[in-house]
Amino acid sequence: MVMEMTFKKRLAVTAVTMGMAMAGSVGLASADDDVLVIGAPLALTGGLADEGKKQQDVWKLWLEKINAAGGIDVAGKKMQVKFVEYDYQTDGKRAGQLAEKLITDDEVDVIMAPFGSGHTKIIAAVAERYQVPMLACVASSVSVYDQGFKYLFGTLAPNTGMTESMVEFFKEKNPELKKVAVYGRDDVFPKSMATALANSAESGGLDVVYNELYAVGTMDHSAAISAIKSANPDWVYMTGYTQDLILGRKQLADMGVNTPIVTMVTGPAYREYTEGVGELADGVTSSTWWHHSTAYTNAVGAWSTTADFYADFTAAYKSDPDYVSASCAAAADVLVNAVQVAGSKDKQAVRDALAATDILTFYGPIDFGDNGMNQGREMPIIQVQGEEIKVLYPASIADAEMKMIK
Amino acid sequence: MDIIQILLNGIVLGSLYACIAIGFSLVWGVLNIINMLHGSFIILGGYLAFFAWQYSGVNPVFLLPIIATALFGLGYLLQYFFINKVVSSPVLTTLTLTFGLDMILYNLMTVFFTATPRRVTLDLGTVNLGDMYLPVDRLMGMGLALFLTALLFVVMRASKIGRAIVAVRMDRQAATLMGIRVNNVYAITFGIGAFMAGAAGVIFSMVFPITTNLTGTFLGKAFIICVIGGLGSVPGALIGGIALGLIESFAGYTIGPQNATTVGFVLMLFLLIVRPTGLVGVKGYE
Repeated sequence: MVMEMTFKKRLAVTAVTMGMAMAGSVGLASADDDVLVIGAPLALTGGLADEGKKQQDVWKLWLEKINAAGGIDVAGKKMQVKFVEYDYQTDGKRAGQLAEKLITDDEVDVIMAPFGSGHTKIIAAVAERYQVPMLACVASSVSVYDQGFKYLFGTLAPNTGMTESMVEFFKEKNPELKKVAVYGRDDVFPKSMATALANSAESGGLDVVYNELYAVGTMDHSAAISAIKSANPDWVYMTGYTQDLILGRKQLADMGVNTPIVTMVTGPAYREYTEGVGELADGVTSSTWWHHSTAYTNAVGAWSTTADFYADFTAAYKSDPDYVSASCAAAADVLVNAVQVAGSKDKQAVRDALAATDILTFYGPIDFGDNGMNQGREMPIIQVQGEEIKVLYPASIADAEMKMIK
Repeated sequence: MDIIQILLNGIVLGSLYACIAIGFSLVWGVLNIINMLHGSFIILGGYLAFFAWQYSGVNPVFLLPIIATALFGLGYLLQYFFINKVVSSPVLTTLTLTFGLDMILYNLMTVFFTATPRRVTLDLGTVNLGDMYLPVDRLMGMGLALFLTALLFVVMRASKIGRAIVAVRMDRQAATLMGIRVNNVYAITFGIGAFMAGAAGVIFSMVFPITTNLTGTFLGKAFIICVIGGLGSVPGALIGGIALGLIESFAGYTIGPQNATTVGFVLMLFLLIVRPTGLVGVKGYE
């Protein structure tokens, strides 16, 4: 009797489940052409949780803006936009698996890459295999884009361009500048920035007196800073993620390293860096891809000016947006523009439209080069002055003169 | 002069490392539990110190006893209600349980505090000895590590609860027959481990940026220190911590910071092969 009931129960559950699955698939099939489905593997927990949350937040804001307008106009019809997100727990392997799941199970039309060049590289390989267009909004290492992928597009500009202009700018502002110490985290983006700066400094005629990397998970920089102090540089250039840079700045001060220029990439671009460092942040310079003081108008996308984006973001999250938020929102705008140009969400057509993109967004101009990277952007050099972030370079958007650290 | 600075850096860093490892060593050595929650306990102590400081403006040093006691309470309850259920199972079972509890605590902290790195920006300055610099906050951490080690040493040797903890570690059944409430002793021991972690977290909030991303790093350091210093001996964590601090400091200066942490792991492997009890550990605890 018990067996029979259990069997009946199972049968009923199976029937209901099958019914639901069929209803679901019918529903999806009918909605398929009218919904643009964007897949996003995000690091919502683990080491990059903070950055992953920024992406999630800005896309939520962007989606609200799109939905408020009733969707996007594609070939004379309104198309809805939907995000499918998974937490890959800052585990690269898992990121790759989830990207595959998004493409095969969820049948997304396009993939948004997560934070960082390392994880973007992993997911780009999956997207390329399935020929799904992918937009990377927080990957700037050329090594991600030089693999011949046709479906990968990135809104950040190459990080090498940043270092050359920085060396020239600092030499102009401080003619005494002769020696630089370079200290970078042994990780894709921070390492590429440190290497690029050391090369740019050497070719710019500076003496690179210290050039070392530190391992991921380093909890103390005193040994390296002692060596830097002995080398007596005029400029310390350190790369890493926010927690590394907070610790690095504090230890530079603790160990009595007083150079006129301290650059931390991309520390001051994040509010949490200046909050974590306190008064020691004053005078620290950095380069970044975007700052909210830039003023673009007549832009394509959800926001027609930089000021509109800034106003909406600060109202929603009570904090300033940084380049991660801006670049990711702009990536979504670029995607919508490509779907509109293509007139459908056909993957090949969208890919071709992306390759031909040349538009101005609130974040700045976007024009993908042959390798898929955004090209032709002059990236700002910023400095913490008092409690504010000032733009030093380029002159067209500069709002302060560079100050040396005493 | 550089050599003396490196030596001092190593000793101060090592003392901070000891701070991380004391509670972990106690729980592992006495309860035979590899407490995967330890890194999260330290971060929780750090977050509580940061938010209490931000809210009240009170120097975290004065908040330390309150926060550490709160962590003691959390540790006691976790052991009493959860870990005690499996405490006599093989070490892998307790390891898995604490791993699961750690995932819950870690993610709760990420949700409620976010993973944003935070630091108590109460810079206390440095002590200058000629060309050498010693940051005051790190010296305080060093003082705390020495104090906690001494306190734990005295508690284990001279107090009733300390003797009960040692007795339970030596022979659980005999201790039960002697009238010791074993489950209570386990919970107190785990609570003391959490107390130490909480205290370390408070000090660290002034030295390091606190973020949930660091829980694994803290746990890894505690693990290496215990293997180097040895289990079953209270000063083992202090000696292991200082040894690791000195090794990383000299390696960072001589062969580069990229390889400094690797040297610590290599030493751990070497000791596991030639001296499994660690530098000052007691035989039978490894």
